[in-house]
Amino acid sequence: MIEQLSNFRSSLQSLRAFRNLSPLGRRELKQGMLFLSPWLFGFLVFTLIPILATLFFTFINLKITDGIASTPKWVGFSNYVHLWNDNQAGVNPVTWFKGGTPGALWVTIAFGLIALPVGIFLPLGIAVLMNNKYLKAPMFFRSLFYMPYIVPFVAAVFLWGGMLNSQTGWINRFLIQILGMSRDSVPLWAESGAGEWPWIYATYVIMGIWGIGNAMLIMLAGLQNVPTELYDAAKVDGANSWQTFWKVTFPMISPVIFYNLTLSIVGLFQYFLVPLVVNQGTGRPGGFTMFYNLYLYRNFFLFQNMSYGATIAWVLFLIILAVTILLFWSAKYWVYYASESRS
Amino acid sequence: MKKLLSLLSLLIIATMVLTACGAPAPTQAPATEPAATEPAATEPVATEAAATEPASSDKVQLRWFVGLGTGTDPAQLPAQQKAVDDFNAANPDIELTLEVVPFDSARDTLATQIAAGAGPDIVGPVGWGGSNAFFGQWLDLTPYIESSGFDTSIFDPALIEFYQTEEGQVGLPFLVFPAAIYYVPSMFDEAGLEYPPAAYGEKYTLDGQEVDWNWDTFTEVAKRLTVDVNGANATEAGFDPTQMVQVGYANQWQTHVNYQAAYRAGAADIVEGEEGNYTSAIPDSWKEANRWAYEGMWGEQPFMATGPLAGAPEFGNGNLFNSGKAAMALTPLWYTCCLDDFKNAGNEFQAGVMPVGDDGEIHGRVDADTIRIWKGTPHPEEAFKALSYLIGPEGIQTLVVGSEETPAAYSGLPANPEFQQSYIDGLLERYPFTTPETWEVFKAGLAYPDNPSAEQWQPNWNEAWARQQTFFDLLQNTPPDQLDFDAEWQKMVDDLNAIYAK
Repeated sequence: MIEQLSNFRSSLQSLRAFRNLSPLGRRELKQGMLFLSPWLFGFLVFTLIPILATLFFTFINLKITDGIASTPKWVGFSNYVHLWNDNQAGVNPVTWFKGGTPGALWVTIAFGLIALPVGIFLPLGIAVLMNNKYLKAPMFFRSLFYMPYIVPFVAAVFLWGGMLNSQTGWINRFLIQILGMSRDSVPLWAESGAGEWPWIYATYVIMGIWGIGNAMLIMLAGLQNVPTELYDAAKVDGANSWQTFWKVTFPMISPVIFYNLTLSIVGLFQYFLVPLVVNQGTGRPGGFTMFYNLYLYRNFFLFQNMSYGATIAWVLFLIILAVTILLFWSAKYWVYYASESRS
Repeated sequence: MKKLLSLLSLLIIATMVLTACGAPAPTQAPATEPAATEPAATEPVATEAAATEPASSDKVQLRWFVGLGTGTDPAQLPAQQKAVDDFNAANPDIELTLEVVPFDSARDTLATQIAAGAGPDIVGPVGWGGSNAFFGQWLDLTPYIESSGFDTSIFDPALIEFYQTEEGQVGLPFLVFPAAIYYVPSMFDEAGLEYPPAAYGEKYTLDGQEVDWNWDTFTEVAKRLTVDVNGANATEAGFDPTQMVQVGYANQWQTHVNYQAAYRAGAADIVEGEEGNYTSAIPDSWKEANRWAYEGMWGEQPFMATGPLAGAPEFGNGNLFNSGKAAMALTPLWYTCCLDDFKNAGNEFQAGVMPVGDDGEIHGRVDADTIRIWKGTPHPEEAFKALSYLIGPEGIQTLVVGSEETPAAYSGLPANPEFQQSYIDGLLERYPFTTPETWEVFKAGLAYPDNPSAEQWQPNWNEAWARQQTFFDLLQNTPPDQLDFDAEWQKMVDDLNAIYAK
C-alpha cells in the first residue's frame, strides 16, 4: 500500500516534469501512451464507466423488466434507506433477527467467525508440517495437499454434497453402520434445520478445506524464507519449539498471514458459490444460508431489480473497504516487515 | 500533454461511435412503416423473383429472439433457420433474422434490450414463467387476428382463453404439454396393484373393490409402492422411512407451491386487488395441498422423496423418475425429453389419468410454449405475419414435425389438432413400449388446463415466484420437528404481500 502510494506520488511528479522532458522523451511517452490506449479504453468502457453507472443506478428506481412500461425516476438516497431498513439484508445490526430471520450480513459475519480461523490456521499448520525436516517425501505430501485445489470448486462442492447427503451420503453411512451411531444422532449437514445452523456452516467449512492448497503453498513459501540463523540464535538462547514458533516463525511469516487474511476476508464477503449450489440459493433453512453476496445476486439477476442490487453492491464495496482499512491499520501492531525494521 | 489527452479522447470517442454504429438500428415509428397488406400465400417466392426482390435495406427488418425456453441447443438451430429462410423466401418485403441467446443469459439480455427500447419483434418459444417475467411487454394480438382473418377456431377454446389477460389476447396456442401420471407397470405388478385408469371417468380397483380414482386412492397406492431396503412398503409395520429404495410418487420437477396446489386443489387466482393495492389471495385449499405433499415426504407413511433423497446421486440427482426409483410421477408431457437413462436401463412406463380432486373436479395442468410479439415492435403487422407463419401449418411442419434433412427443432404436442398425431407417432417410435392409449391420456388432459395457470402473473413476478419456491424448498428439506408448517405458510403469505406492495 505504502509502496503504491509512493509510486503514485512519484508518477505525479513525473507528470509535472513532463514539460521539462526532451522532445525525444515526450515522443517516447506519447508513443507509450498510444500503446496503452487499448487497455485504457477497455478499462474505461468495461470497468470504470460500468462502475460509475452502477453508482448512478443507486439513485434511481431502475428495474429493467419494467422496460418501456416506466421511465426510471430519481429517488435520491431512498434505495440506501431501504437497504438500511431491510431485515433480510441486515446492514443495520438492529434488524438482524427481526422477524426471526437472520440478516444476510449477520450470516456472512457468523460464518466468517467459523471459517476464517480454519482458513488461516489450518493451511498454516499444514505448511509447518510440510516444512518439518523430519517429514519423509515432502514433495509427495505437498502435491497431495495442493491437488484438491486443482479440482474445479463447483465439482468439489457437488462431490461433497453427495458425500455429506444426510440420507445417502457415505459419511453418515459410515457413522451409522461402522461407528454404530443412531440415525437420529447423526448430523444432517447442509440439510440441518434452522435450530442447527452451525452444522450447515461446518459443512461449508469442510467443503472449503479443499481449497486451502494454495494458501498452504504461500504459507510454506513464507516459512522457507525465514533465515535459519534466527532459529540457531533461538536455540542458543534456549527457546523451546513453541517459543521458537511464536517469537521467530510467526513474526517472520506475519506478512504472508496478513496477505492470506486480507484475501480471505474479501473472499468471505463475496461468498456465494457453495450456498447457491448446496442450498439452491434459497437461504434455507430460515435464511441461515442467505449470504450477503447471494442476496445481492438474487436482487440483481433473479429479481432484476438493478437499482437495489447496485445499492447492495456499493454497500458491500464500502464494507469491504472499511474492513480492509481496519486490517491495514491493525497491521502495524502485529505484522513484521523485516525490510522496514528500524534501528 | 494536452495534445496527448486530446488524442486519447479522440480515439475513445471514435471507438465509441464505431461501437454505437454496430448496435441495433434505431426503431422507426409504426406509422411510417409500410403495412404488409398481401397475404403470404400470394407473395412470389424469392427464388423466382430474385431480380425484382427489394434490396435488403428496403425490407422490413424483424428479429426473432430465441432463448427464454427451448430452441438454444445447436441441434435445434437448423430447423429454426429453415423456418426463417422459408418465411423470408415467401415474404420478399420482410427480412426475419434469428437471434439465439443462451438460456442462462436470455432473460437478462432481453430485459436489457427492452429497457434500451431495442427489443426484438418476436420472442419465443416461451412458457408461462418466461412470459410472466416480462408481463406487460406483450402485444395484444386481437386487432391483427381480426384484420388478417387468422382462424382461431382450429384450437380448443380453452387454449385460446389460456392466453387472454387483462391486456387482451397476448398469445396464441402453439405447443402444449398436458400433465398426466407416468407410471412403471412392473412396480405395480410387483406390488399386486392395478394400473391407474387410462381414461377420465374410469374407476380404480383397489383390493378387489371399485373405488374413485381420487387423491385418497392415489395416496394409498403411492404408499404401497414405497419400499424400504427390507422390502416393506410404507403401510406395513417395520417399514424404515430412513432407508427407502423406491418411492411411490415423484412430483417430477414440479417442486413449487403453485404446481403442487394446481394439481391437488385446482387453479385459482392468487392475487387480488388493483395496482398499488395487491394482496395475496392464495386459497386454503392450496395450503392443504402443500401440507399433503409435506406429509408425503416427512409423514409416518411417506410416499415421496425428501429433498436430500431426491437430490442424491442414487436417486437421479433430482431426475427421480428417470432413475427408475419412483413408481409414479406427475409431470407434463415435456418430461418425455428426459427419460433416456430410464429407457436404456430397460424400464418401461405408461401414463394414467389425473385423480379427481376433493371438490369432485379434475384439476390438470397444461404447460404451454408459444411465440409472442413484443409490444414495442415498430412493425406489429409484419411481426404478426411472421408469428402466424411460425405457429401455423408451415411453421409446425418445419419446427415440430421436421423432415429427414432437417429434423424438428421442438418437441411438444402441437395445439393445432391436425399435427398432433404425427407428434404422437414420433413418441411411439421413441418409446416403443408405450401404448397408443398412453398418449391419448395426455391428449385428453388438454380438457383440464390450469386456468389461470399455476405460473400466472403476480406483481414482481420473479421475486414472488422465488419466495414460493423457497417455501417448497423448505418443505422438502426440513423435518417436522424443525418446521412449523402453519407459521411458515403465514410467513410466506406475509412476504408475498410485502413483495406485491413493492
